Amino acid sequence: MLFNSLDFFIFLPIVFVLYWFVLNKNLKVQNFLLLIASYVFYGWWDVRFLSLIILSTIIDYFIGIKIHESNDETKRKRWLRLSMLVNLSLLGFFKYFNFFIDSFISAFNSIGIEMDTFTLNIILPVGISFYTFQTMSYSLDINKRKLVPTKDFVAFATFVAFFPQLVAGPIERASNLLPQFLRKRKFNNKFASDGVRQILWGLFKKIVVADNCAPFVNSIFSNYTEEPSSMLILGVVIFAFQIYADFSGYTDIAIGVAKLFGFDFKKNFNFPYFSKGISEFWKRWHISLSSWLNDYLFTPLAVEFRNYKKRGIFLAVFLTFLISGLWHGAGWNFVFWGGLHGLYYIPVIFSKKRFTSISTNKGSKVKLDFSITDIPKMVLTFFMVCLTYIFFRSASLSDAFGYLKGIFTQIPTFPNTIPYELFLFIIILMATEWFQRNKEHGLQFDDTSKVRPFFRWVIYFLLIFAIFIFQEEQQEFIYFQF
Amino acid sequence: MNNYLSEFESLFREVLENEDIVLTNNTTAHDIDEWDSINHIYLVVEIEKHFGIKFSSSEILGWQNVGEMIDSVKAKKEL
Repeated sequence: MLFNSLDFFIFLPIVFVLYWFVLNKNLKVQNFLLLIASYVFYGWWDVRFLSLIILSTIIDYFIGIKIHESNDETKRKRWLRLSMLVNLSLLGFFKYFNFFIDSFISAFNSIGIEMDTFTLNIILPVGISFYTFQTMSYSLDINKRKLVPTKDFVAFATFVAFFPQLVAGPIERASNLLPQFLRKRKFNNKFASDGVRQILWGLFKKIVVADNCAPFVNSIFSNYTEEPSSMLILGVVIFAFQIYADFSGYTDIAIGVAKLFGFDFKKNFNFPYFSKGISEFWKRWHISLSSWLNDYLFTPLAVEFRNYKKRGIFLAVFLTFLISGLWHGAGWNFVFWGGLHGLYYIPVIFSKKRFTSISTNKGSKVKLDFSITDIPKMVLTFFMVCLTYIFFRSASLSDAFGYLKGIFTQIPTFPNTIPYELFLFIIILMATEWFQRNKEHGLQFDDTSKVRPFFRWVIYFLLIFAIFIFQEEQQEFIYFQF
Repeated sequence: MNNYLSEFESLFREVLENEDIVLTNNTTAHDIDEWDSINHIYLVVEIEKHFGIKFSSSEILGWQNVGEMIDSVKAKKEL
C-alpha cells in the first residue's frame, strides 16, 4: 500500500479508530492490531513475501534470546553468525543473485571464456533491505550486551513489521522503538496533531514536488544523448530535489503516521542540502542508514585498521561507502556512487589533524549555525552531491559516463524547455525548510514558533489545495526499489 | 580509579581539542559533541599508546561509557 494512495487513506482511519477507541484497554491486543494492520499493509502489495518478513522475525526473536542466555562467547558468536547468515542470504538471493551472476559471467567473457547468460526472474521484495537491517541490528546489539531481548513475540514482530516504517525506513533501532511497544501509549493531542502536520508536509513534498519533477528528470535521463549540456545539468539538479522531496517526504509521512499512534521515531533527514561539507551531509541525509553503517560496519573496520592511522580510517570509510552503494542497488553505478562519496572524504581525512565522523546518531544535535560565508561551501557541497547523483540515477554505469561526457561535449545552448513551475515548487520547499531548519520538520509550529495561528491555517489550506491541483500521475517512492 | 579518570580527561581534552571536557564514569559519546566515531578511533589509539597496552576489538566495541573504558585499562595494568 502506498502512503500516497486512496487505499491508505481508508486504511489509516480504520486502524486509528480501532487502536484508540476500541482496543485501547489492553496493550497486547493493541500491539496485535498493529501487527495485523502491518501485515495487511504489506500483503496489499504482495502476500507471498510476507513469509520472508515472518521468517526474519522468528529467526531473530529466538536467536536474540539464545545469545542473551549464553555466557560462552563462542556460542554467542555462533548464534549471531546464524542470524547474519539468514538475513544476508535473504538479501543476497532476492537482491543480488542476478547482479553477481551477471558480473561473474561478464568477467569470464572479458578474459575470453564464453559463458551463457544465466539469470533468474527474481522480484525484489519491497522493504527487504530495510527490515533485514533492522533485525540484524537487534541481534548485534544483544551480542554486544547493549540490549536485552524481549520475550514478548508480538511486540517484537510488530517492531520488525510496523507499517509506517516497514517498506522504506527509518531503520529504527530496537533500543529506541522496542520499549515503546512494551509500555502503554497515551493519546497526546499535541503530539498527534504535529504528526498530522508532518504527514501534510510529506504529502506536499511527494505529490507536488517529487512527482512533478519525475517526468522532466525521466525524459532527460532517457534521452541524454540528444539533450544540450545545459539540460543535462538542469536534469541532475532537478533530480537532486526530486529524490530529496521523494525520500524525505516519505519519511515525514512515516514519522507523522507513527506519531498518530503515539510512537516517536528518530529523525531521518536534517535538512541535508544546507550542509557545509560532505561529512555534514552524511550526518543529515538518511541518518538511520548512515548511523547503522557507522555503528555496525565503519566502526568495527576502523577499530581493526586503527594501527594504519589516517590510511586505515580512509580505507574503513571507503569500504563503508562501497557497501552503502551496493545496499542501494545491485548495480555497478551504485557501487561507483558510493565510491565517489568515499573519495570525497580524502581531503576531509588527510587535511585536518582531527576531523569528524561519517555519521552520528546525534540527530537534531547537529544545529545549523549560519553565516554568509557558508554559502559557497553549501553550494559546493550541493554540486558535489549532484555529481554523484548522475551515477545514482542512470540506468547503468556506461549511461552514467555517457551522461557525464555529454555535459562536457554536447552543445551548451540554452535549455529548450524551462520548467518554471518546478522552480517555484522547489523554492517553496527549500524556503520553508530554511525557515524551519532548527525544527523537526517543515510544518512544526511549537510554542516558540513565530508563525501566527491564522497564517498557519492559510499555509495548511494552500498546501492541501496545491496537492489536489498539481497532482501528477501517481509515482512509487524511489526508495521502495532498494 | 580517580587517577585513571584524570589521565583520561587530559587525553580526551588533547585528542578532541576541547579544554572544557569534564569526564565522569558515566560520560558517553552523546555527552560530548566532538566525540564521534572517527575521533573515537583516535582516542583508542592514544589510550593504548599512553598506557602501553592493546585492547581487543570486542573490548573496544563493547564499551558503553568512560567507566567501562577505564575498567578495561585497569584490568590490563593491574594484572
